[in-house]
Amino acid sequence: MAKVKVATVWLEACAGCHMSFLDIDEAIVDLAELVEFTRSPITDIKEFSDVDVGIVEGAVGNTEEEETLKELRAHCKILMAWGDCACFGGVCALRSTLDREDVLRRGYIETESTYEGKIPCAPGVPELLETVKPINQVVKVECYVPGCPPDAKNIHYALTELLAGRIPVLPSELMRFD
Amino acid sequence: MSTITLTIDGQQVSGNEGDTILDICNASGIDIPTLCHFQGLSNSGACRLCVVEVEKERKPVPSCMYPARDGLVVHTNTEKLEKYRRLILELLFTERNHPCAYCVASGNCELQNLAYRYQMDNVRYSYSYPNLKVDAVSDYLVIDHNRCVLCGRCIRMCDEIAGIHTLDFGNRGWKNTICADLNKSLGESSCISCGACLQACPTGAISSKFGVYQVKPHEEYDTVRSICPVCGVGCEIEATVKENRIVKIESPDLMAERGILCYKGRFSEVARDHSRISSPLIKDENGNLTQCSLADASEAANSRMKAIKQRYGASSIIGLASSQASDETLERFNAMLRDSIGTDLIDTFDGDDYRLIMKAHAAAGSTSPDQESTLEDITRADCIVIAGADPFETNPVVGSYILRAVKHNNASLIVIDSEKNPFSFNTSVWLKPQKNRYKPVLNALLKAIADNRELKGAQQKKIATSVEEVDIARSAKDAGIESTELNKAALLIAQSTHPMVIYGERILSLQAPDVLASIINLAGICGDKKGTIVSLKRHGNSMGAWKMGIAHPEQSVISYLGNKSSVKVAYILLAEEYCDNADLIDGLKKLDCVIVEASYQSPLTAIAHIVLPCPTWMESSGTYTTLDNITKVTSPIIRSAVGATPGG
Repeated sequence: MAKVKVATVWLEACAGCHMSFLDIDEAIVDLAELVEFTRSPITDIKEFSDVDVGIVEGAVGNTEEEETLKELRAHCKILMAWGDCACFGGVCALRSTLDREDVLRRGYIETESTYEGKIPCAPGVPELLETVKPINQVVKVECYVPGCPPDAKNIHYALTELLAGRIPVLPSELMRFD
Repeated sequence: MSTITLTIDGQQVSGNEGDTILDICNASGIDIPTLCHFQGLSNSGACRLCVVEVEKERKPVPSCMYPARDGLVVHTNTEKLEKYRRLILELLFTERNHPCAYCVASGNCELQNLAYRYQMDNVRYSYSYPNLKVDAVSDYLVIDHNRCVLCGRCIRMCDEIAGIHTLDFGNRGWKNTICADLNKSLGESSCISCGACLQACPTGAISSKFGVYQVKPHEEYDTVRSICPVCGVGCEIEATVKENRIVKIESPDLMAERGILCYKGRFSEVARDHSRISSPLIKDENGNLTQCSLADASEAANSRMKAIKQRYGASSIIGLASSQASDETLERFNAMLRDSIGTDLIDTFDGDDYRLIMKAHAAAGSTSPDQESTLEDITRADCIVIAGADPFETNPVVGSYILRAVKHNNASLIVIDSEKNPFSFNTSVWLKPQKNRYKPVLNALLKAIADNRELKGAQQKKIATSVEEVDIARSAKDAGIESTELNKAALLIAQSTHPMVIYGERILSLQAPDVLASIINLAGICGDKKGTIVSLKRHGNSMGAWKMGIAHPEQSVISYLGNKSSVKVAYILLAEEYCDNADLIDGLKKLDCVIVEASYQSPLTAIAHIVLPCPTWMESSGTYTTLDNITKVTSPIIRSAVGATPGG
């Protein structure tokens, strides 16, 4: 049987969800028999290819993240959100209550350690979006594993469900947002 | 009340007429999700999570507001309802900012639990991301409007149970928020920091400044039920303990008798910052207090007391105890000084109050203080006279009982106080005698009541005779009060069915037996033997100490500390109190030996020759008698710090 192809990305995120995925410990050995990771921070492959499952950690906060997400969506059959940022906006969305220009000024000019700061504006530097968005506000998403980070067992549960051909929905007793 | 029968989810259940569908479901164990409902408070139908389908109704109805009727057919968990509930939750999550990852309530949040229950793993609507303020001005509580779901539980708790009604909704529609008074910050409002709202809040919108993030539900912790003996009310408490530290004190049941707490019971022990005395101390040759063993300290205390007794006699030794201590601690103090040392010069810090009350009761020829009403009687009163008392300072829960009587019985409040009216706009009449001229006001009141009320029994007639000669107008003028105000107050009292008289600190401090006798007579002329008077005694176990005979019957032993004093030794049981009374400390400095048994360091322990550590009420089981003469026993909540070496 051909291996299931998976691509993962992290957008506006802390890498915690990917770390939590690695916390599935020895189960990863069995998983590796069934799954092939293509583009992923784990494999360090940069190019997208067509995959069965796309996995997203993180929210969408700038134009590059928006583009990456749309590209992944175009290359995958099933898209899964990992973590509170991808599912709801999470910690990243803290800045959404503030004015974008205020955030940039605070970050690049007014921080106490900054001397003659400048808001980056060179061509190619992605632009900050007005608010941070959970990924389902940008593309269609098939399944979600919330948590900050999601428990390794929840990630494992969702992957196992997918491999069994089912769209995973975490049962109430596994749900966690923190 | 007639019984009705309904069909709920195909099951025949019965309830009483007047019950809501939710009441009947709760009683029959049928689970309906709720958020704005809080058992014991009125319902408001704000959240709509409890919607049910009632056959022949066009649309789902909130079960908390829908009166059950005989024969109704109700469905509580159809697919449609579950869909609506999930939708409501998603909308609640988008309305304000609810990221659980950095919320104080996460793991202990009703909104979060509901989201788990409905498997809300994503939200289909865009977030509104409001930028709302966080009010952290209060000493104890924080309101984060970003976390609020506008369920209104805090408002109803503040109004119906705490009685103070500081919180309410402010602004309209989209801008609607919880607000304190006329949109003040909580710390600058009329809030009494009782924390009932904190316990009612289903999310992290209202949080405590103490103990947050210290215990997560999946961590190991203990809960211990006990009684709060900080003041004489004796409220029920439940402490959360982690690693021998109290991280939270809550009410086990806000709706029960002595169920609400005050800032003292709820926060003061969690936030206490006085240094604990955990080892015995003895003054060395350089005059510094240094640590020693308990055996050495007790031996030193005993031998010094015995030596002084041999040389100067037992009356050179005085004992002074705080009525904050439990019966058991007081018993030990009494046995040592009275029985082993043999001195009679023993008193409590509030001994003056005891002697005043006894004298006043004798003068009024009335019942003794252990036959006062219970605090629960206050909530049943329809007219309350508050004389020289500020319950919000001394016994805040009593303040709430009084306000509940105003709210639920429409009771009239009459404040007799030269300085302050703690009840502001809830008061019907404030009689404000000039310069503590309480006596003429009380006499005029007694006379006006006697003129307007049918008197029963010999005692009431005797009281009426004693004021027969009083000229109401002249007395009112004498006290600087409008006689119309006085007559108005007298009529309210005379026409009431369940009057109640409460007096407190400012009357006790006057030390005027004739004034207090008049207050006792005021209760006597309008009530039965029992059920009309409550004195707000100053300490947690005043009643217990007095009943044990610790307070000196005639004279304050502090008065023995004069210049030509023959007193050489003072043994002071300070318990948990902090004493910085300069007069007392100056008097004690002249003695040969001062022995202090205390839980915390204070200016008094600093001048002691020997300091013995005293366990706190949280560390030991103790018997206390409330100010209304009910005996309660505390349970130890944490292990004693006594004997532990500092830092160890």
